[in-house]
Amino acid sequence: MIKEMREPTFLVLATLAEGKKHGYAIIQGVASLSEGEVELKAGTLYAMLDRLSFDGVIESVGEEIVDGRLRRYYELTSQGTTLLAEESKRRVKVSNIALRRLRFVGGFA
Amino acid sequence: MTQDLARTRKLLSFYPKAYREERGEEIVSTLQEAAEARVPRASLSDQISVALYGVRVRLGLTSETMFGKALDIAAIPGLVMGAFFGVYLLISGDLPVVSSRFFYPHFGPFLTVGPLFYLVWILGVAAVLEWPQYRRRIAGVCMTLTIVGELLAKLAHRNPNIWEIAILVSLGLPSLLAPDVYVTRRRVMPSLIVGLATFATLFFVTNSRVNPGFFNSFYWSGTYEIVRRQPYVDVLLLALFAVLWITKRREVASAALILSSPWIIVGVAYPMSLQYLQVDTLNAIALIAWVVGMALIVTTSRYRPRPPASVDLSALNSGS
Repeated sequence: MIKEMREPTFLVLATLAEGKKHGYAIIQGVASLSEGEVELKAGTLYAMLDRLSFDGVIESVGEEIVDGRLRRYYELTSQGTTLLAEESKRRVKVSNIALRRLRFVGGFA
Repeated sequence: MTQDLARTRKLLSFYPKAYREERGEEIVSTLQEAAEARVPRASLSDQISVALYGVRVRLGLTSETMFGKALDIAAIPGLVMGAFFGVYLLISGDLPVVSSRFFYPHFGPFLTVGPLFYLVWILGVAAVLEWPQYRRRIAGVCMTLTIVGELLAKLAHRNPNIWEIAILVSLGLPSLLAPDVYVTRRRVMPSLIVGLATFATLFFVTNSRVNPGFFNSFYWSGTYEIVRRQPYVDVLLLALFAVLWITKRREVASAALILSSPWIIVGVAYPMSLQYLQVDTLNAIALIAWVVGMALIVTTSRYRPRPPASVDLSALNSGS
């Protein structure tokens, strides 16, 4: 089970929150969500997919052949959905506190 | 394109057969899609990352396996153990000999590279605790500097000896091989305890009433003393492994076995390298037990295909 969620894992789960996606679509989704800051390498992606599948956070839900290439699709499990929701709330809560403090010291409009 | 595809497929040979059959085509497709979208340099780094992950899967060094989890646990304690070993060598090996006029100018920190090695490991540990995300690189630097330094030092003088270096370098291996590059603050205290325990054990093991002072140093008799008294340490380590394994704390048990590896191996290899020393029977038994334990860890960590997931092709195909 995931004890602490790191940025790349959060981005992968957030990408899958949109619906089922295959390998390269996840790489694109992560790049898009992070505005190009996080660029997952293919090897890193499969290491993460293996770990998240093992932890029961995501699951493979099917495959298809597109242009002669195999695409396997992944989506969040119910456990993964709960985990992502909790982590998102935690991040929002911390961000809100930070923004309030910045307003208080006049450093942020 | 066909040539590219063939080259991409070759990368799959890094993976075990079962993994290749399960995920091979999917990985090739992802690499092809990525190659079409990215600049050539990025495509190459994609291929390297896939090859490296293949080696990890083949060796059982992934986050899901017992071996991978044990290496994650052993990584920081291993480095800390190395740093404390360095401090021990400095106090017990380098400082006593520099204070001896008898051996001047043949020994001393200005004539050996020992203190520089120890400093590298101490600074390495400090750096890893500050920037855990660079743990693998820092461990690599520590190990490389130690090996290169030892080779250069051998040209000028004999010390520090190869066995000290072998132990030091081995203690960096878990950091280099562990799959998880991050570390949490929770691991700092257990690591320090492991380091202090190593330091205390070394003092106990090499303590000699017969030869006080610099004759007590690791340069002179330390390795011999460790080997001579190793059976007791070996028994303790193996008993610890057995207790942890039986009480189902198998990842911690495996980490303990990994960290005890250099000591157990040197305990047999050192006397074998010298004609006038015999391998202690208990040391040999400890090595056999270590081999069995490691085989157990590696065997349990081999890749096994997962049961097939429920597949609903119709829903996917209709949506595409």
